[in-house]
Amino acid sequence: MSEKSPVPSNGDERSGNTLIAEPVLVARGICKSFPGVVALDDVDFEIRPGEVNALVGENGAGKSTLIKIMAGFYTPDLGEVRVNGKHLSADPAAAHKAGVATIHQDHHLVPSMTVAENIMLGHWPSRYGIISKKEQTKHALRTLAQVAPELSPSTRARRLSPAEGQLVEIARALSEDACALVMDEPTTSLSPREIDRLFAIVKELKTKGLGIVFVSHWLEEVFRIADRITVLRDSKLVGSAPAAQLDQEQVIKMMVGRAVHEVSTSARKPGRVVLEVKNLTRYGAVEDISFGVHAGEIVTLAGLVGAGRSEVASCIFGIDPYDTGQVLVDGKPVAPNDPAAAMRAGIGFIPEDRRRQALVEQLSVSANATLAVLDRIAPRWVISTERESEVMSEAKRSLAIKMSSPKVRVSTLSGGNQQKVVLARWLARRPSLLILDEPTKGVDVGAKAEISEIIVGLASRGTAILLISSELPEVLALSDRVLVMRSGRITGELHRGSMSQELIMNYAATA
Amino acid sequence: MNSPTQAGSASKLGLLDKLRVGNRAVLEAVQGLGLFAVIVIVSVLLGLASPVFFSRINIENLFYSATIIAVVAIGEAFVILVGGIDLSVGAVLALSSVLCVGLPLFAGVPIWLSTLVALGTGAGIGLINGLSVTVLKIPALIATLAMMSIARGVAFIYSGGRNIAPVPSIYVDIQATRLFGIPVVILFTIALGILAHFVLSSTRFGRSIYATGGNALAARLSGIRTNQIVLAAYVISGIAAAIGGLMITARLEAGAATAGFGTELTVISAVVIGGVSLLGGEGKIGGVLLGVLLLGLVQNAINLLNVPPNYDYVVSGLVIAAAAGLDVFRRSFAEAGLRRRSILRKDEAKSQRGSAPSATTATPPKRIT
Repeated sequence: MSEKSPVPSNGDERSGNTLIAEPVLVARGICKSFPGVVALDDVDFEIRPGEVNALVGENGAGKSTLIKIMAGFYTPDLGEVRVNGKHLSADPAAAHKAGVATIHQDHHLVPSMTVAENIMLGHWPSRYGIISKKEQTKHALRTLAQVAPELSPSTRARRLSPAEGQLVEIARALSEDACALVMDEPTTSLSPREIDRLFAIVKELKTKGLGIVFVSHWLEEVFRIADRITVLRDSKLVGSAPAAQLDQEQVIKMMVGRAVHEVSTSARKPGRVVLEVKNLTRYGAVEDISFGVHAGEIVTLAGLVGAGRSEVASCIFGIDPYDTGQVLVDGKPVAPNDPAAAMRAGIGFIPEDRRRQALVEQLSVSANATLAVLDRIAPRWVISTERESEVMSEAKRSLAIKMSSPKVRVSTLSGGNQQKVVLARWLARRPSLLILDEPTKGVDVGAKAEISEIIVGLASRGTAILLISSELPEVLALSDRVLVMRSGRITGELHRGSMSQELIMNYAATA
Repeated sequence: MNSPTQAGSASKLGLLDKLRVGNRAVLEAVQGLGLFAVIVIVSVLLGLASPVFFSRINIENLFYSATIIAVVAIGEAFVILVGGIDLSVGAVLALSSVLCVGLPLFAGVPIWLSTLVALGTGAGIGLINGLSVTVLKIPALIATLAMMSIARGVAFIYSGGRNIAPVPSIYVDIQATRLFGIPVVILFTIALGILAHFVLSSTRFGRSIYATGGNALAARLSGIRTNQIVLAAYVISGIAAAIGGLMITARLEAGAATAGFGTELTVISAVVIGGVSLLGGEGKIGGVLLGVLLLGLVQNAINLLNVPPNYDYVVSGLVIAAAAGLDVFRRSFAEAGLRRRSILRKDEAKSQRGSAPSATTATPPKRIT
């Protein structure tokens, strides 16, 4: 492969989005199923040049599947994708060639390669198979100039920040003459300033005639950037309309299709002290942490990312060792650095990263839901299938887990349902203290409310709850008490009635 | 996205569809049958090529010679299921072999005790392997590679490099014993397989093995003591290899430090052909035994068809590659079947679909920075 213009071929002549152009990508009647679930059901979708089409919907609505079909990773069961009038076959290389560039959620750079090598990935300029570094750098610089002139082509990709990595991926798309750019939740790991910059670049690309798909959970962002909003719900297309004709409330209605009610916390009476943490210190992570949680009380650790909240939870549950201090449950000390001991002492823990820390994806839903109660379903080492299915059906009923059968692999469920499986695992143990680390992170609006209700329900039945959350409205709605952390220390304690977002941020961010 | 029940879907489907479309359990059975089908086909071809193949003596010999590999493979499967690998099994087998003959001969140790010492040595080596992996955090490949060399070396030192004989007569006697006309060694191997299958599929320990191999962090955060599980898997592998050592001693009628050279690779091939994922967390003992049988079949074929000994390894290698390829093929066939099933269900759903649920009031989500 030799010369390639870094600028989209259809870009320079056209400008603005006033021109009503033929769509660059048309997907018609797309259906796609996986074992046990229908992911897309008769969905139509279009990308027009110079337009940002925001694809929104709850987790499990089918956004990711649609993106993967447009990127050539999946073959639709029914329906067809056409790019510039030509049929797109299910092959990522063919999709690239046709001009559909996709920026996936998990970044797809080769960490050991340089920025230039990544930009030219797969079409390195070469003669007789020998790559010309000079040509490569030249091409890379030309494309980088459009999105990130400050990046050096010789930097290794592993040294880039998530935001920089994303810019390199955009540069790669440009170097491939993309006519459509699909961005799957591009803002999740970016700071507000980086988001501003990304949006400026997206607007710039728009004027060059690129068609852009923007996937996001955050409607405020969607309304900032989108020309058109397309909503998916339960695998179906709900509607697609110019952004100017919609407002946030309408879009939420379209996304959720049902009422999302706020959880109200009626006054609960805190009971006995369940958890006592005394002078807990883990050098370099948390320092001199002391607090208690009562039965039926919801205590939240608030603070900025990196303030040491998750580290406190890790020490309490025995995931990490601590240097000094003590953890007591019901007055008895809990052995450090042993999650099994913490579990037996009556602590439950729902970690932040579902896929990495909670689910065993090769195992069935039922095996996952009973993983923390193996001693109960197998009192004498041999697993009782009756007890296992009892626990499973109880969980399915009380948490409304949607699945075709408890025997299917847990990885076939949607994100919200996977989170419920993790909840089920711990609810089955009836812990006296449940620690939840960002339980509603990456969960859609509907499931969020359901999970909040479950937390409040547990507390009113006497479970002590230690919550870690970065969503201040959630913190204010649920907590009886908020402990604010900054740089590994507790800097403030707020009680129901006297807490506000401003106060929390004040303790969290200032000395 | 709950799929509707299958009621009424049967009418639309042909027989083949029913077979493919049936429930997941059937499909999994078909997946398991894939390897079985390969074995049947190879057997039929062999039967056509050599009239001796289906003789009772040959079949018995086939199973009989597969027993040692089978026992060691069952142990190895536990290690691979927790996401590890044990390269020391061949050397442990040799060490166990020289110990169980040498101790009574050189030191006058009673036979029951020397047998126990041989098994205990296997368990001990497994324990050291397990500790190296869990506590010292040495990669399993390196830790067990080192152990392979050490154990083999100790076996050579202890035996002085010579075959040790005579073997205690009870070994030879057990070897020759038959129950219901079947060599007791074959029955023992089958029993061990059934026991291992039961442990893996129906016990807390077995479930913990799959969970640890599938996602060790998640297992640990669910209160499973993953280090103990990994340790136990290596101990089981060590004991199984030591049992293999006793068996090979009886068969060779000598304790040999050279016994089981390269056995680890045969064993790992059998386990992987049998459908156990090298990444851990996936696979069944039934598959492992079929994998062992297939490799035994190949050896048998080489003998029956008078393949020149120098071609031995090439033929074995080709069969391993072909079996792995077929396995991939049958998996994708089964996946296609599953996909087909869900499409058919969806079509059904489509024809019965009612009106969409109506929307009500909602509040906008807020993002906090």
